[in-house]
Amino acid sequence: MKKFTNKRPAMTTPGAQGRLRYFIGRALSNIRQNVFVNVVTVGTITLALLIVSLFLLLFVNLENAADNWSEKVQVTVYFDKELTPQEQSDLKNKIQALPATSKVTWVGRDEALKRFKGRLKGQETLLEGIRPEVLPTSFEISLKKASRSSEDVAAYVAKLKNIQGIGEIQYGEEWVRRFNTFLTFMRIVGGLVGGFLVLAVIFIVSNTIQLTIYARRDELEVMSLVGATRLFIKMPYLLEGLLQGLAGGVLALLLLLAVHLLFLHNAGNFLTFNPATAGLAFLPPEYSAGLLGAGAMLGFLGSLAALRRFINEITG
Amino acid sequence: MIQFHNVFLAYQKDATALQNVSFSVAKGEFVFLTGPSGAGKTSLLRLIYGALTPSRGQVLIDGQNVSRLTSSQLPFLRRSIGVVFQDFKLLQNRTVFENVAITLEVQGGGSKADISKRVMHILRQMGMESKISLTPQRLSGGEQQRVALARALVNEPKILLADEPTGNLDDANKMQIMNIFKEANVRGTTVVVATHDRRLIEHAHYRIIRLQNGELADNGEVRNEEIH
Repeated sequence: MKKFTNKRPAMTTPGAQGRLRYFIGRALSNIRQNVFVNVVTVGTITLALLIVSLFLLLFVNLENAADNWSEKVQVTVYFDKELTPQEQSDLKNKIQALPATSKVTWVGRDEALKRFKGRLKGQETLLEGIRPEVLPTSFEISLKKASRSSEDVAAYVAKLKNIQGIGEIQYGEEWVRRFNTFLTFMRIVGGLVGGFLVLAVIFIVSNTIQLTIYARRDELEVMSLVGATRLFIKMPYLLEGLLQGLAGGVLALLLLLAVHLLFLHNAGNFLTFNPATAGLAFLPPEYSAGLLGAGAMLGFLGSLAALRRFINEITG
Repeated sequence: MIQFHNVFLAYQKDATALQNVSFSVAKGEFVFLTGPSGAGKTSLLRLIYGALTPSRGQVLIDGQNVSRLTSSQLPFLRRSIGVVFQDFKLLQNRTVFENVAITLEVQGGGSKADISKRVMHILRQMGMESKISLTPQRLSGGEQQRVALARALVNEPKILLADEPTGNLDDANKMQIMNIFKEANVRGTTVVVATHDRRLIEHAHYRIIRLQNGELADNGEVRNEEIH
């Protein structure tokens, strides 16, 4: 008798294509034969992913809002005297040469007075008789996104001070610190809630898929008894889980799009606090693709977890 | 071909299914495994195809210790053993054809056309070719037994194990099933039939291994009148 150490032909042999077709065929026929259980599984995955994606949508919009707010991290250099155009140009070039600088804007005395008046709308009479010369001129400096943390801003200001001819520097130190603390807090809470949701989804999906597999335990047992390898038994169910997850991902994305178009697209600016961006933005394409991938992966891992328990029992 | 060396099997500490069982079955032999219900016949068969592991002792198939086989080697042992289960274990949502084809499919038994040819051949031998598209619920007990037998024999295994294969069958069906066993044996298959059906054993004069309360009561030829 042949010894029992034979290994199945590698999947790269011509027969592997036929085998893959067989697995896909089996996965599809399993789905057709158990429509109800599959609908329940896909429904569960859809619901779970919808919750995750709604959270993601909220989180992405919060991050966008945070990005907008961080534009306000600005360093201002005041000058008591009027600078000559040459001095202005020299200083601007030196400031612009600092790596963290994003944009440098010169604010002359006339512009400063105009802004001041703008702030005192309705009480402009208070400024009657005030001449622009009493206000300082300034450079307003926006920083690059990666250089807006408290430490980075402090380091930037230190470099700025070294520039010859620079005036008094103000940058709202306390505001920057609080803003960065808020961002860190938001990311930690987001990570925790997101992580918890993902774990809950894996648990639910794994248990739902286990029901599907439990319904077919006889089939798995017979396959094992007539000499099927573990991989051969598992593969159609893994593919089935993958397809279920993908279907759940597509449905969740479509539902999210519907919810977005119906309710969130024109929602107020309660989240962004920015009148220019009323309503929430939809998930960026990479997040949408990620959601589909996550769905497929969830289905696959859910099947794998459920199969591990059964296959060990059946194959001994 | 099959060797049991001082095999013990305990499901729990105080519930021993087999005690110190030793015997061997030669290649091409036909053996009846008999004994009253609960004697350990089914457990003994399950040890042969690796569904159970002995608590002590060794079960060797063609010189290989079954309990030493890894989970990736075990399927290859099972491919060389056809098993007819007491409860048939037919898949109720599959047709007769699919129930038989599954053996070849899981073993990578050639193209679709090859599989179809071999399945039809064995079903013709069993007289079931007209029922290939029926599901098991629509078959009689005897027909289901023949489908189970076809599934066990379709890949021409080296060993055929049958657990109470004639349990609920009438005499005509019993003899038909017995003839199929004999034909498989003539073609070189080692056959082990577990049964407590006296009429079946009387019908043929093969070696009889008798179990009693999990122990080997007789390892060789037993006269029919001694069987209970």
